[in-house]
Amino acid sequence: MTLPLRLRKVLVLSPPLIWVVLFMFVPYTILFVFSFWEQVYPTFAPAFQLGNYQTLISDPQYLRTLLRTIKIAGLVSLFSLLLAYPYAYFLVHKVRHPALRQTLYMAVVAPLWVSYLLRAYTWKTILGTEGILNSFLVSTGILSEPSSIFLYNQTSMIVTLTYVFIPFMVMPIYAALEKIPRNLLEASADLGMGRTATFVKVTLPLSMSGVVAGFTMTFCLAFGDFIAAYLVGGPDGMMISNVIATQFGASLNWPLGSALALVMLLIVLAIISVSDRFERLGKGTFA
Amino acid sequence: MKMKTRLTGALSAVAVLAVGVTPALAEGELNILTWEGYADTSFIAPFEAASGCKVSATYVGSNDDFAPKLAAGGGVFDLVSPAIDSTAPLIAAGFVQPIDTARLSRWSEVYEKFRSADGINSDGQVFGVPFSWGAISFMYLVDKFPTPPTSLAALWDPALAGHISLWDDKSAIYVAARLNGDMDIYNLTDDQLAAAQARLLEQKPLIRKYWSTAGELVDLYNSGEIWISNTWAGYQSGLLQAEGVDVKEFVPTENAEGWVDNWMIVANTPNEECAYKFLEMAISEEGQCGMSAITGYSASNPVAAKACMTPEQYVALHQDDPAYLDSLLLWENLGPRLNTYANAWNSVKSQ
Repeated sequence: MTLPLRLRKVLVLSPPLIWVVLFMFVPYTILFVFSFWEQVYPTFAPAFQLGNYQTLISDPQYLRTLLRTIKIAGLVSLFSLLLAYPYAYFLVHKVRHPALRQTLYMAVVAPLWVSYLLRAYTWKTILGTEGILNSFLVSTGILSEPSSIFLYNQTSMIVTLTYVFIPFMVMPIYAALEKIPRNLLEASADLGMGRTATFVKVTLPLSMSGVVAGFTMTFCLAFGDFIAAYLVGGPDGMMISNVIATQFGASLNWPLGSALALVMLLIVLAIISVSDRFERLGKGTFA
Repeated sequence: MKMKTRLTGALSAVAVLAVGVTPALAEGELNILTWEGYADTSFIAPFEAASGCKVSATYVGSNDDFAPKLAAGGGVFDLVSPAIDSTAPLIAAGFVQPIDTARLSRWSEVYEKFRSADGINSDGQVFGVPFSWGAISFMYLVDKFPTPPTSLAALWDPALAGHISLWDDKSAIYVAARLNGDMDIYNLTDDQLAAAQARLLEQKPLIRKYWSTAGELVDLYNSGEIWISNTWAGYQSGLLQAEGVDVKEFVPTENAEGWVDNWMIVANTPNEECAYKFLEMAISEEGQCGMSAITGYSASNPVAAKACMTPEQYVALHQDDPAYLDSLLLWENLGPRLNTYANAWNSVKSQ
């Protein structure tokens, strides 16, 4: 007994469709509606007004936090790239033994299996005034007394976030580099190109899709993070997600929090669409 | 040693989680949203055994956490324990239900002043059971201060840069306003609020971290990060002293805030029976001295406190002198101004 093709299509497609509608479309619609409500003591009430969006523009605290978040997320992506690219290149081109390559690859990816919270917390014990780093520096005589500059500031947030999200940079770059046919590199060498020229003209352009994918992922993940600010950030480490959490929490201003969340969503969507174009640019089909 | 403490902490957290997910075999259950220390096993375990009500606690770090958690709905919590400044919004929003005080045999023993407080009385009905009270005092590491601090100015001392912490709560505004000499901290004008904000911004470069839970504050002192902060009088200093960290509390010349915590029953709880059993326990000897022993806070029922405290403890906790609370700046509901205060604090944090 076979079901008609149409029914089969419906059956196959409906679970993901229902999932998307229930968990993506409905929540965002609710968020969208909430963003026009207003805060009325003791909670908030339905309304249709643009006050929340006006507040986001007129009160400098939101733009300031947004810019800081973009700065931190950008630096996290940049440092991840600077570390991940040479590592992935080394794995693909220098490590000949497949088992060793696999092991080194897993060494970077494996921390993903450990709870993010635990990994971020570990950095606290490393960077603290009485932490491992300070103990080491004092015992080796590099510092005369423990320094407090390693923890509770934006640098410690960037270090932690880079560590936490770097696998998302290594994986796509590794995949992109591995896909480059070796004969292209050989052809480049045959035509008299040096190693540097081959890298710049062949390897790098062909791996750009991995770089863009990695940059997008690490940026978006860091952009939405709020745990690092809480655990290792200092008084100047507030991220945009912390502000949203505060609006939905202590401030009990869900309408403003919703407006902020939508702005954040738009920024992330914009980044994804730009990176999508970049990726197509890499494939020569920029549109 | 420190690492060991941390590890023990982590392990006990795991143990607590493990206990938390064990299916309740008891007759009833009770989910409470409360402060650290108010669901300590030392008095909760005997309650569970006697009542058959399994207690699961979730902790808040600020009085402003109660309303949002209840606003999210879902019938998750049965009991909450906000301070007297945060009870009125919960009543106004309909998040909590009236309490039949006739069902509490010890009700009449609670300080009359607490029972009749505006914050828990509305339309002739009672909405809260006073549980504990105390001050938001200040605390410092003894060996870092040859001359003990006496003023809030110590929290603005550039010499202590990087070793100061302040509670991540709207009360930061209260602290800054008092340093400015604005003592009517619950009725600050916009100008006074702006001045308090400026004070906090001036302090910000000196701040190591704003603390948000008792555990975090203890950790900050314990790991040598901070030397001075505000604190929930009695609690964190007790925890630190138990770990051998020599801290001392003080009420600055600019005075300190006072608070009274109240148990409230969440509207339409399915576990009302257990909730009343809990309230009965809370204001009897088990609850009152159980809480005091863990938190160092004063008790709301002086009769129970007298029966279970040592005479010295009774005096030390000002149980014979509830007028002590009047000398503090007792937290008040800010009403619609709450948003303005909260926003002022958010703005400082965002800089």
